[in-house]
Amino acid sequence: MMLINREKCNQCELCIKSCPFGAMTITEQSAQAGDECTLCGCCVNVCPQGAIAIQRTPVSQKDLARFCGVLVVAECEERQGLLHPKKVVYELLSKGRELADKLGQTLMVIIMGDDRLADLTKLGHHGADRVLKCVHPLLKEFSTDGFTAVLSTVIADIKPGVVLYGATPNGRELAPRVAARLRLGLTADCTGLDIDAENQLVQTRPAFGGNIMAAIIAPRTRPQTATVRPNVFPVNFYDAAKIAEIREVSLVLNKSMIRTRIVQEVCLTEEQEPALEEARIIVAAGRGYQTQENLSNARRLAKKLGGVLAASRPLVEDGLLPHTRQVGQSGNTISPKLYIALGISGAVQHLVGMNGSQTIIAVNQDPKAPIFKIADLGIVGDADAVVKSLLTKLEN
Amino acid sequence: MNIVVAIKQVPEISNVQVNPETGTLIRQGVSSILNPFCEYALDHAVRLKALCPDIRITTVSMGPPQARSALMRTLELGADRAVLVCDRKFAGADTWVTALTLAEAIRCTVPDFHLIFVGKQAIDGDTAQVGPEMAEILHLPQISYGTACEITGNNKKIRVQRETESGYQILETRLPALVSFSKGENIRRAPSFADILSSRKKPIDLIRAQDLNIADQELGLSGSFTQVVKIFPPLLKENGPLLSGLSPQETTATIIKLLNTIDVLEKKEGSL
Amino acid sequence: MHEITSTPMDEIPIETIHQINGFDAIKENYPDYLTDESKLTMGAFDFLFFPQNESELATIVNEMIRKKICMTVAGARTGLVGGCVPLCGALISLENLNKTLDLSYSESADEWRIKAQAGVLLSDLATMITGKCFSDLEPDLSPETQKKLIHFKNDPGRYFYPPDPTEMSASLGGTVATNASGARTYHYGPTRDWIRGIRVLTMAGEFLEIPRGKYFSSPGGQFTVYDSKGGHTPIRIPEYTLPRTKNTAGFYAAPHMDLIDLFIGSEGALGIITTIEIALLPWEPKCSVIQFVSSDDKALHLVKSLRSDKRIQLDFMEFYSQNALNLLRKMQAEDSRMVGMPPIPESAGAALFFELGFDPEMDTPDYRALEETINTAGASLTDSWAGYETREISRFKHFRHLLPEKVTQVISERKKIHPEIHRLSSDLAVPDEHLDDIWNLYKERLNLANIEWVGFGHVGNNHFHISSMPRDMEELARGIKIYTEFAEKAVSYGGTVSAEHGIGKIKAKYLKTMYSKDHIAQMKSIKTALDPDLLLNPGNIFTQETCTK
Repeated sequence: MMLINREKCNQCELCIKSCPFGAMTITEQSAQAGDECTLCGCCVNVCPQGAIAIQRTPVSQKDLARFCGVLVVAECEERQGLLHPKKVVYELLSKGRELADKLGQTLMVIIMGDDRLADLTKLGHHGADRVLKCVHPLLKEFSTDGFTAVLSTVIADIKPGVVLYGATPNGRELAPRVAARLRLGLTADCTGLDIDAENQLVQTRPAFGGNIMAAIIAPRTRPQTATVRPNVFPVNFYDAAKIAEIREVSLVLNKSMIRTRIVQEVCLTEEQEPALEEARIIVAAGRGYQTQENLSNARRLAKKLGGVLAASRPLVEDGLLPHTRQVGQSGNTISPKLYIALGISGAVQHLVGMNGSQTIIAVNQDPKAPIFKIADLGIVGDADAVVKSLLTKLEN
Repeated sequence: MNIVVAIKQVPEISNVQVNPETGTLIRQGVSSILNPFCEYALDHAVRLKALCPDIRITTVSMGPPQARSALMRTLELGADRAVLVCDRKFAGADTWVTALTLAEAIRCTVPDFHLIFVGKQAIDGDTAQVGPEMAEILHLPQISYGTACEITGNNKKIRVQRETESGYQILETRLPALVSFSKGENIRRAPSFADILSSRKKPIDLIRAQDLNIADQELGLSGSFTQVVKIFPPLLKENGPLLSGLSPQETTATIIKLLNTIDVLEKKEGSL
Repeated sequence: MHEITSTPMDEIPIETIHQINGFDAIKENYPDYLTDESKLTMGAFDFLFFPQNESELATIVNEMIRKKICMTVAGARTGLVGGCVPLCGALISLENLNKTLDLSYSESADEWRIKAQAGVLLSDLATMITGKCFSDLEPDLSPETQKKLIHFKNDPGRYFYPPDPTEMSASLGGTVATNASGARTYHYGPTRDWIRGIRVLTMAGEFLEIPRGKYFSSPGGQFTVYDSKGGHTPIRIPEYTLPRTKNTAGFYAAPHMDLIDLFIGSEGALGIITTIEIALLPWEPKCSVIQFVSSDDKALHLVKSLRSDKRIQLDFMEFYSQNALNLLRKMQAEDSRMVGMPPIPESAGAALFFELGFDPEMDTPDYRALEETINTAGASLTDSWAGYETREISRFKHFRHLLPEKVTQVISERKKIHPEIHRLSSDLAVPDEHLDDIWNLYKERLNLANIEWVGFGHVGNNHFHISSMPRDMEELARGIKIYTEFAEKAVSYGGTVSAEHGIGKIKAKYLKTMYSKDHIAQMKSIKTALDPDLLLNPGNIFTQETCTK
């Protein structure tokens, strides 16, 4: 329910300008919300007097049923001048397709950006029934304010039962912001998603640094929202014949709604080097293998195998490699075909990040190193000698 | 200028073990510490204060009575005042209720705050949700994954270096704002014995449910939107052979054999 | 009473006991067993045993006695003076005698006690005591044992075993054999003070059960040991007076002394200790403090002031000299994360590391006495690092251990170029009044001789660790001369040649610096009484170049 404090309202009309549904008017010297109001919450933030509040009660059983459909939030990245959905979006679509089928509901995907948005038909091939295309110049780069406003509006309007985000840095900022605005339950970093007998979304995720798993539900709020780490769900739905309906969403966005400004942007990864999350082969260095010479050899080995170099957290914290190369609970989650761990002990926070690798080879001096618990091939020995010997063999 | 740093006391995760039968944590012998990311947030507040001694740092924590020791730590490390938000009614709160409770507590105790600093995530929950949710409740702009910051624009703006997947950005916003940090001092700071003694003289205020303008049913477990239905230990991969005592050449041969079976190496004439 | 009788144990067929034969096989498959932390190696030896229990040990030992084969006993091989390095014969590793046998509460002494076998590691003991979890005792479902375990678990207090030798991976047996000490010895005393009973296997092949407080030397300074076969061995206690310092050189001797003290610190020369009963102390919360001062002299001044002020109770006082801080600064520059502490302040010339009782819950802690004393040394409590959380106490401890580890590392590097090079370290302690004298001696001699050295250690006990890292053989030779002078000077001040590490084999030559010929002969006669064929741990304390046969 919309609560407007008449005394605080100074009729500045900012709320009228920012309401995407045109629901606000000034009546009797105070702003008021009409029937078109969806409680998306955009006006609340915008009001400089703090005169607007939304009181939300959890959705009743009857109303729960009205929320229908699975919505995937398609985060994009720029490649060669266009905005393409990130790989994680296709993973979410595969999972979303499975969930939507179980529920007998529609799979939708919302994509936000400016006129450089690309690959919309691909979203259909990967399972989407409907694409909600949100184009606006102010969405040309990610901003919490801009994307929260648009997404909240769309969710309030179409009322999906489930919303899925990639647990990327941006996703992990956006999802809680939207959840707070719309008073929704949110589960972060899910490694499992399923529908139970009551048609609820059961969200499974690691906690305590990965030491335990928790299964979570959001019984009283809709939509149920969750973020999912990249490389957790496989991309296993593809139908070249499937065509998604593309719907253009009209947006109300103005500059004053976006309160953060990008002053500078710096890219640390080499253009040609694939992102860690998408690498097929990874050679990772840990504390037991961190001299400059070691890292240079590890890089050579990675290159020779057609893979990329990564690192565990201590090396990144020591500044030896940028955080873009970090694997682990507070770094990247990866699931390459091959993961070679050099001098990595395998603390659980690291394992959580690479446990999904298909084949793991670990070299460490300590026979008790936890990494050996999940290695397909464990070698107790000096990583330096092993890498040098491997390089000699491979380079001949 | 008032900087509020919201902190959490967490178990020292590296020492945590799981009971394989019940899947629950074995808490015995595991110390409680100031969440490392929260300590980073405090590091940045203290750095700003060193440049501008007018700054007053208030740390706030929602937790059980023992969270007091984490707040005490923040006072030793340079905070001026601490607030413990503690009440049985807060128990069982999910991230939403935590954010709601903390936001309200901050409104009560430091109504004229300029900045709220938080850590990226707590190492027990790992959700990274409370910061952004607090920002939304308080209608603040937010900047996350901060690794460095400076106050600019005549004390009206803050610039933050934000980690991105491909590198970093510098973002700027007007105060008041909320910033969450992913990096701080490389090595944990050590207060002097004098700091430890003088911190005992700094105030730690207690805020209870009755001090907050939130209805009981919106607090704790009853106010939560998410519910944990099951806890179980993680399923990690099974391991393969562990070899030791091999020469580097023998090791290489073994590795190459494995690489061949998983089709990673290009087959050349006369394969390896 | 001064008479004690040993009891035999039934032997089992020796063929059933696992043994490794032949030096080549031992060298190939068990290279770690050739030496200890000192890296000393002696002769080739032919047998290696890992007895699983006392029966196996008794069998092995009796067999060796019958065949007159020398035997050397090893615990965790962390010793620094070659105590477990064999000359010849057999090496018996007690690592598998690692069971905890009993937990009990002594009403009369109002203390908890634990009985454990010699092979239990100190670190495992600490884990058991902190976690109040004894995996060897839990399976015993007898009501008595279960009652004791529950009583201990329900006791809200925390407990600890006070002697904390720096090396926690040492075996309990090893620490009792050497009467090990550590930083905390300053306040709590050495290992000896915490041993309530031992069980010893003698060279008569039988076991002596020695609780503290039962067997005392006669007015004439004598003990008599009887065995089950009717043999009797008189032992006369030496007549020297022990130095007024921490001491691990030579046998314990005092009028009306307890028999247990003869074996504690005897470095395996007199018998094999198989079981030990230790006492625990209630733990109290502490705060670690590293106080920075402007110079070495100011640090020593502070030591004396803190020592003399009865209001100030410190658990230990450790010293970082100027060159120690400089070495640590270098290490921080190379790998700050490994060092684990914030950058050492530039203005710091030296530092004291101490620990004192501190209750984090206390609202108004009063440390004015400490503050005043520190101010008189020209320092301020604001120039310190302090911490009381468990992980803080750990990282302060780690910071202290980095120095000896670094010295070892530097020596290893230098050994690559000069294979014969080794570190020089002193283990000398002097009485309180000679603190300045001995420090000034160290500093003058080593600086003048242009030797690379670092000074740190248990300054509270006037026990400096002076470690030199010679850069070539010439420097090593110069250093050896100087260290000999140090030992002689320390003794002349009423101190000891070995405060902590023991004599073992490496320091055997220093025994005569400290004890007269007669006194050494008195010690030797105890050895020959209890080990007539000189079979046990040959070379420990009493120089022996080759084995007797």
